[in-house]
Order: sequence, then C-alpha cells, then structure tokens
Amino acid sequence: MSARRRPWPLGARGLVLLGLALAGLWAGLHLGLTPAGLVPRAAGLERLQEFVAAAARPAWRHEVAPTFVDASPFLVELGRATLRTIAFALAAMSLALPLGFMLGLVASDAWWRAETFGAGPLGAFARPLQVAVRIFIALMRSVHELLWAVLFLAAFGLNTTSAVIALVIPFSGTLAKVFSEMLDEAPTGAARALFGAGAGPLAVLLVGLVPRALPDLASYAFYRLECAVRSSAVLGFFGYPTLGLHLSLAFEDLRFHEVWSYLYTLLALVIVLEVWSGALRARLAP
Amino acid sequence: MNPITSAVGTLDAATFELEDVSVAFAGRFALERVRLSAERGEALAVVGPSGAGKTTLLRTLGGALLPTSGHARIHGMELADLAPKARRALRSRLGFVHQDHSLIPVLRVSQNVLAGRLGRYGFLAGLRRVLFARRAELAEVHRVLERVGLADQLFQRTDTLSGGERQRVAIARALFQEPTLLLADEPVASVDPARARDLLELLTALAREEGVTFIASLHDLELARALFPRIVGLRAGRVFFDGPAAELTDERARALYELGADERVNDERVNDERVNDERVNFEREGDAASAVEEAPPRPAPKGLQG
Repeated sequence: MSARRRPWPLGARGLVLLGLALAGLWAGLHLGLTPAGLVPRAAGLERLQEFVAAAARPAWRHEVAPTFVDASPFLVELGRATLRTIAFALAAMSLALPLGFMLGLVASDAWWRAETFGAGPLGAFARPLQVAVRIFIALMRSVHELLWAVLFLAAFGLNTTSAVIALVIPFSGTLAKVFSEMLDEAPTGAARALFGAGAGPLAVLLVGLVPRALPDLASYAFYRLECAVRSSAVLGFFGYPTLGLHLSLAFEDLRFHEVWSYLYTLLALVIVLEVWSGALRARLAP
Repeated sequence: MNPITSAVGTLDAATFELEDVSVAFAGRFALERVRLSAERGEALAVVGPSGAGKTTLLRTLGGALLPTSGHARIHGMELADLAPKARRALRSRLGFVHQDHSLIPVLRVSQNVLAGRLGRYGFLAGLRRVLFARRAELAEVHRVLERVGLADQLFQRTDTLSGGERQRVAIARALFQEPTLLLADEPVASVDPARARDLLELLTALAREEGVTFIASLHDLELARALFPRIVGLRAGRVFFDGPAAELTDERARALYELGADERVNDERVNDERVNDERVNFEREGDAASAVEEAPPRPAPKGLQG
C-alpha cells in the first residue's frame, strides 16, 4: 500500500467542488434568493390561475374584438406571424450557414495542416490566418443576438435587414466554432488516402473530411435553425413583426388564450424541426 | 502538357529504389538502412512481425514519409528533392490500398472511385468530376468496378457495402488512378479469412494484368508464399530476408518471427532527426503517431503453425 498521505482530507478535486458549491451559495445570498419570491401576490395568484386555465383552450379567434376595422381573423394573423418568424430564421440561417462553414473550415486544425503540408496556395500563411479567424469568430460569438438587435435598433431603427444581420453575426460565429471542432474530430482515414493519391488540400478536406463530418454538421445546423426560430420569435419583443410581438401584446392585454396559441405554435415549429432533423440524421448516418 | 503527367512521364526500369533508407520517429528507428528495389511489373510481399516496419516501408514508398537518412527514389526521382507540387504529381500515380476506413461512407461507390483521380486535376475540375461525373467518366468507373466484381454497385452508397466489398472499392479506386506502382498495406487484414484469399488473388491478378509493380504487406505468411513470387521479410526495421518465395524456408520464417535478440534495435536513440515530426502530422493522425505499427499482437502466422 502507498505510504503517501493526502495533503487535504478532500483531495484537490474535492476542494474544487467545495469551492464551486461555496461560490454558488455566495451568489444566491448576494442576490437575496428566498423561496418567498415564488409565492404569488394575492392578485397575481388569480392571474396565474387564469393563465394556467387558458392553456387547455388556446384561442382560435380574437379574444377581444380588434379595435381597427380592417383587422384580419386571428388565425390569419397567427399564420402571418408564424411565417414571418420562419422567414427571419431562414434568412439568417441561409447567410450564417455558408459563412459559418467557410470560417469553420479555416478555423479547423485539419485545414492549416492540409494547407501547410499539402502544398496549398497559402502554405505557411495558413496558420496565422487560422489564428486571426479564430479571434474573429470569438468576437462574433461574444455578443448575444438580442444585444446585436438592440444595438442595430438604436443605430438603424426598426428594419428587417438589421434584425437578420443581428442574428447572422453570432450564429455564424457559433456555427464556425462548432463546425471547426466537428471537422477536427472526424475520422481522417479517407482524407489521408486522398492525400496519398496526390489530391490538393482543399479537395482532400471537401471530399475526404467534410462528408465524414456531414451527419454531425447537418444535425448541428438544424439545431441552430431551431435556435434561430426561437431567437426570431424573441426579436418580436423589440417590435419586429414576429410571433414575439404578438405574444408580448397579448400578454400585456391579458389575452391569455391568445398567448397560449402563440406559445403552442412556437412549440410546434420546434418539434417539426426536431423531427425533420432526426429523419435527416438517420438518413446520413450509416 | 499536364504537369502531373509530365512529372511521371519518363518511367524507367526500376520502379523504386531504397538505398540505406532509415526512417525515425521521435528518436526511434522504424526502418534502418533498408536496401530494396523492384523492377517494373514485379510483385512482392512484405512480411514480418508486428512493429517490424512494414507500414513505414510502404508509406515511404508511397511518398507519405521522407527518409531520415538514405535515398528513396521512385521512378528515378529522389523523394526528398521533389517540390511539394511534384511530389503530389508523383503520388497521384501511386495507388495505395489501405487496411480499412479509407473510403467516404456517405458517398456513392462511383464517387469514391472517382476521388482516386482528384490529384490529377485542379480543385474545381476534380470536384466537378467527383460530384457531377459525366457519362463517359462513369463508363470508365464502371469498367474498373467490373474488374473488381462490383459493376452492379456503381451508384450504391458506400456504407451499405460489406467489409470485403468496400475493400474492392478501395482497390478499384487505386486502379482508377492508373498507377505505376501499387501499394497495399495489410489489404486483407480486416476481411474474414475466407474472403482474404479471394481478395488478394484479385489484387495480384489485377496488378499482373496492368503490368504494374505491386508491393503488399501481409501478416499471413502462407498467403504471401502462395501468391507472391518474391518475399521481403522485415524484422526490427531491417531487411531480414529478400528472395524468391521458395527460398523462405520454414526455418527462416520461424527465425523471422522469433521474439528476442534484435528487438532492442528499436530503442536506440537517433541523432539525426531530419524530418517526420511536423510535416507529416496530418497524415499521421489516427496512426497514434507511433514509431512502429501499433497493430495488436497477432497470433503466429499460419505458415508457421504445425
């Protein structure tokens, strides 16, 4: 048996865990968290009951007659808001996906290795470029899409393009980071074989490596589309005409049945995407 | 003229020539002062215990590794002297059949075969051929697949094939390169024994028909003796035997695989580490970056039992 004594009864790992637990406790005390915060006020309790009760009966027509004359039926409005939500998400993803893929490829280790050792056009410049791109990606990701939206709202006013760009920036960054990691983890057997047959670095990566990572890339892209749909809905809270706008207006006016209609629509959107991406993944995976 | 065909345009008698070639990784010799050459159209099997340097030898011949010292010439061209572009051009005509995992599973069989010629064309032209092959190009792929017995699987997705069929696709891809030198590293190691012989017979027959020099590493000594006229035995990075299959007697074979004596050669430190650290990094991924083959210990070769 080892004669070595532990320096601490808990060991180093135990100390780290203890430290983390203490930090969490401090944060809770600092913010004054108490269970009392979750007890609704008298009036609030009634609201809460109303809200929960409305869950079983989502609205399918206007709960309160609209004040303006040419208002569309509720379901038409819901459909329009849903389409706009999807449109924002699709527009953002169709820009973020190619951008994220290109940045991700350049940020991957596989790329600069292939470039440097496979006599690519960039050769030794590939590594510095990779580092620069990685920093750029980190900057893109470091600001949340809603913050970008607020910034753009202040700078450009309420316009669709700036809202889409607000989504594109952090989404490209996140896609690029995760794509580059997936590319680096993909099996390299095929890539090495193509290298051995004299293929150039870009051809090796696109034919030998990317297809091997494809199931993961596709499934992650779908997950990001799902995130984009949710973010696009939330953009509505800033006044963009997506589901969020209608959700917030209905909430303020206490039209809870309508709130639930919007929430269920959002849920349905996410579920459809989930099922679709699952089916695609099953097709791509061996 | 296409720079790639011009680089290998003048092919002389000796397909390859290794002159006192040593290859070292991280201070360990995987090959030590190896002398070996082959005439055009020769077929030879490389045998020897795990860690003897079989894979390193093949990868040196395939241009994936540069010798730490000595001269490695392929078609009279010194590997170390070739500019990267010229080395790529040369490698586009070296067919390499790997042990396994060298195909792209989500692509069709035809696309995997077409990928064999990526080295011949520029990036866009190569990509176009793999993704959107024309009728004439597919006809050529079909002819190659016919020769490996997979003509009816042209458009099959590669991951639906069995292990043996996949290896045939890998062979077809190597043939599609129209190689001047065909290399195979344990080509039947991941195929069940019953099919291994068929597959190896196919490979040797194809190499003969093509008149291409063929060198394969094998752990099955019996197969090597049955199918190859010339056998090279490697032991601890050195050539232990090189001659006609008939001269590799059971006694010599037993000595080749015997444990002990010169195993320690691999432990000697090397002073001259010219290459083989970073430059092959990408290609060594998945190889566990080891000095010697990391193959699990295998049972004694068939030819030695009984």
